[in-house]
Amino acid sequence: MSEMSSSLLLLRNLTTTFHPLSEMEWQAFSKIWQPFRAKRKEVLTLAGETERYLYFVLEGVQRVFFEHQTREATLVFTYSPSFGGVFDSLMQQKPSRFFYETLSPSFFLRAPATDFLQLLEGNPGIEKMVRKGLTYTLAGMMERMVEWECFSSEERFRKLLQRSPHILQLVPHKYLANYIGIDPTNFSKLMNSVRI
Amino acid sequence: MKTIKRTALLDQLESEVESHLQSAISVFQNVSDTLLQQQSAQNGWSIAQCLWHINSYGHYYLPAIAHAMKPDAASRDTFTSSWLGAYFTRLMKPGEGMKKMKAFKDHTPPLQPDGRAEVAEFIRQQEVLLGLLRQARQVDLTRTKVAISLSRWIKLRLGDVFQFYVAHQGRHVAQAMRNV
Repeated sequence: MSEMSSSLLLLRNLTTTFHPLSEMEWQAFSKIWQPFRAKRKEVLTLAGETERYLYFVLEGVQRVFFEHQTREATLVFTYSPSFGGVFDSLMQQKPSRFFYETLSPSFFLRAPATDFLQLLEGNPGIEKMVRKGLTYTLAGMMERMVEWECFSSEERFRKLLQRSPHILQLVPHKYLANYIGIDPTNFSKLMNSVRI
Repeated sequence: MKTIKRTALLDQLESEVESHLQSAISVFQNVSDTLLQQQSAQNGWSIAQCLWHINSYGHYYLPAIAHAMKPDAASRDTFTSSWLGAYFTRLMKPGEGMKKMKAFKDHTPPLQPDGRAEVAEFIRQQEVLLGLLRQARQVDLTRTKVAISLSRWIKLRLGDVFQFYVAHQGRHVAQAMRNV
């Protein structure tokens, strides 16, 4: 099987978990994707510019982050198999307030925003799949807000490792510390004291 | 000296830096504090000391390189080493008949540097270095000169500085990995 068709198979599996597409819908949806490779620490979307692509992650870890003066806030990590990019800017076609960058060498399929948005218009099945996918993302973000408001830093640390145990070996810990809102030094201390 | 393509040189340097980063991300940042501080079997440097030593050069070279670079899309797309630059790189390369060298005074690590802080600083520096290597695709690597850390009177070509600086890191990352 070629790399492209095995990548598309992964994409199809993900869309099916949201909402199974009919053969015709899948034909249309699968046509808009192109393979795309990026190295470590490449900025794919700049704050101020409108998101031009929807990404489907095959390899590597990426993040969406917000820059406030000299401080950064890491909002989302993406890794395989999930969609990536700045969703709100993509869906609304408004300038992004966030950056999307790779944190390790990455491989994607990506689809131009215009093609993707056009497909949503004429295909109720695709639209339903996207709505369910976004609902799933929304639920994840609400849960993260709860953790943010109510959990101690140690609980947030444990939760992160429960959900993504592999991530410790994949990304510099400073990004993980930033994601759960603790100082990198405290993150190291937790690494030493908390047994998973 | 042989002339090489700028893109070929920078591709190779980027992949070396990428592999050094992989060691830090997948191994060094996940090992215990005890292992970070453990001296090698022959009483050599610990992981923390190796990284401290590498970082001590980054404090000098990264700003010096950033300062020297003047991106110009029309700059020459090849690079030629000077004999002195090539000699420095050869000296750093690990491999057969590698000589043990003594570190210069300002670059000799303390007995027990803060291991976590050195790993984090190493990763930060390598990310900066990747950014510089990316910018260097539009820089004349032969005509741009950087003074070496030993003496501001000796200036080497940027392409040589990148090569011996990265080779030096490779040498000590390999040394640190032998402690794991």
